[in-house]
Amino acid sequence: MTVTRCVEVALTIPDNEAETALATLRRLGVELAELRRADLYRVELDPAQEDTVVATLRDLETIYNPNKHSLRVRADGKPQAGELWVEELQSESRSSAAAARAGQVRIAGRFLPGVTRIERFTAWRMLENGGEAAGPEVVARAAQTLLCNPAFQKATVR
Amino acid sequence: MSKRVGILIFPGTNSEEETLRACRAVGLDSELVHWNADFDAVRAFDAYVLPGGFAYEDRVRAGAIAAHDRLMLAVREGAAAGKLVLGICNGAQVVLESGLAPGLDGATNAQAGFTRNAPLGKYRSTHVYVKLSIPPERCAITAALKPGAVIPAWASHGEGRLAAHSATLGRIAREGFLAFTYCDANGDVTPEAIPNGSALGAAAITNERGNVLAIMPHPERDAWTFMHHDASREQARGDASAMLATSGGIALFESLAKALAR
Repeated sequence: MTVTRCVEVALTIPDNEAETALATLRRLGVELAELRRADLYRVELDPAQEDTVVATLRDLETIYNPNKHSLRVRADGKPQAGELWVEELQSESRSSAAAARAGQVRIAGRFLPGVTRIERFTAWRMLENGGEAAGPEVVARAAQTLLCNPAFQKATVR
Repeated sequence: MSKRVGILIFPGTNSEEETLRACRAVGLDSELVHWNADFDAVRAFDAYVLPGGFAYEDRVRAGAIAAHDRLMLAVREGAAAGKLVLGICNGAQVVLESGLAPGLDGATNAQAGFTRNAPLGKYRSTHVYVKLSIPPERCAITAALKPGAVIPAWASHGEGRLAAHSATLGRIAREGFLAFTYCDANGDVTPEAIPNGSALGAAAITNERGNVLAIMPHPERDAWTFMHHDASREQARGDASAMLATSGGIALFESLAKALAR
């Protein structure tokens, strides 16, 4: 039996990329009060290995730097309200079926025990005035306008 | 009156000087244009070159923010009016993100992109050759090249792999949008010649009208012998004039100049 977990890594220092994206979206007519960005790793794994896998990800400096990132584990496997997940199609971050069968799923060269699948997303969280999560139409428009190139990326909205 | 070429600079552009030098070497009246330039002054250019670099630090995606920059309004307007637009490397990424190419069925949205190299997703800097894979006259910028012309260039990118849905790729290949493919020094198109896993072996694509060219490797970085990567450079050592003789990459700029002179 496997469970799905999402490991979310977000900057704790100012996120210039999100600020630039927000300014561009506003200029293009998408009204948002705030835009947050995170790297998201959706992992299917043996629940007995969860702590080990999270510790491994926490140990990878190319993914997580404690001086500027926060890391949290989400039990949900899909976007929350106001959230857009963007995934690159044919991405190298997708674990291959062959690797999963062999129990050899790796990330940044590190073996992840008990993991049968791992996918990487960029999660954009959009807030409207008052801190409310942006509605699905606004999120979809932000994806179409700037945040996702459908030619090679896939956008997932709640 | 000679045609004027604007070489556009976004925050993060880094190849503008080499591009300017190549344009001026072939007699083009060219100048650098910063992102905060007067809009009407930008609109007044007769052609645009978008050089390489990391416009807006490639935030969101390579070329994505620059594609929506105010400067690009002038470029879109100009391209729609038939002005020539050449995007090199990051400039090519901007062209695809802005929908200026391929523009199948007159679409103005992004139908393709240059994205992370495959298989390793790593930055590559390597000398390459590209072969003209359309009839020269199909694209105004290549019209003065010989059929099947082979041009040397430097690939220098982490996101140079052409990616699009398979139906789009099929049309790019079949309907004359695939302007250059990677090849070896003899002009043979082989899988080994592709430095980045690009679909169709694509190094450059054009648009329906043939006035826009988006090319990933840098021909301006192989415009003179001292930049070239074969025996000719070694033979030229110690001879300044031989070192400064033009190399194959200049041919694309000569063709651009001829197109603008017509």
